[in-house]
Amino acid sequence: MNWTKDRSIALSRACVVVFALLLAALDVSAVITAPPVERHTQMILMLVTISHTLWTVLVALCSLFAWPALWKLWRLLGNLQAGKVFTDDNVRLMRAVSWCCVGAGLVCLVCGCWYAPLFVLAAAAAFMALIVRIVKNVFQQAIAMKSELDLTV
Amino acid sequence: MEIIVNLDVMMAKRKISSNELAERVGITAANLSILKTGKARAIRFSTLMALCHELNCQPGDLLEFRDE
Repeated sequence: MNWTKDRSIALSRACVVVFALLLAALDVSAVITAPPVERHTQMILMLVTISHTLWTVLVALCSLFAWPALWKLWRLLGNLQAGKVFTDDNVRLMRAVSWCCVGAGLVCLVCGCWYAPLFVLAAAAAFMALIVRIVKNVFQQAIAMKSELDLTV
Repeated sequence: MEIIVNLDVMMAKRKISSNELAERVGITAANLSILKTGKARAIRFSTLMALCHELNCQPGDLLEFRDE
């Protein structure tokens, strides 16, 4: 699917709205149902009782996304070091990193069905994806402005 | 609907080369080529003024609006 700049920004905006709704729901639920001390204790106990199998699966699946993300970040930094800042290649790299975060987040989301605290990690990964995505949108806009400026005589 | 740059026509009338005009106007030959070939997205007033000064013409002689 060929994503145009406007569609990409629209998707980013939709993600921001989704996060705003989730945050609002969290705020309301935190006020209505403050967790008692026992629940905190339960959560702490859950943190130390993740099964070895689940942990192995989680790390293996997340690594599938983490390694490519690290490689793309490495290339991105290489481009920045070479003075190639506002390029289509950098936008592609940031988009890929963003989708890697989404992938890792989805893995955490699914694993959260067996181990609830992973939902927090899933939300963190999704939020990171959103931030990278918005930075990518900024870069895309900067490239458009730069090309306009380059062709101004 | 587009703006046509008739710079090459005016340069031919004045019998001036690209390199010479670029040097007189104070822009690079590459930028003058962008202007001549119609690839330019915008032109600064200062560049237009310098071109009109060197070619002894009006902006309308260099730029033309075509409503097609």
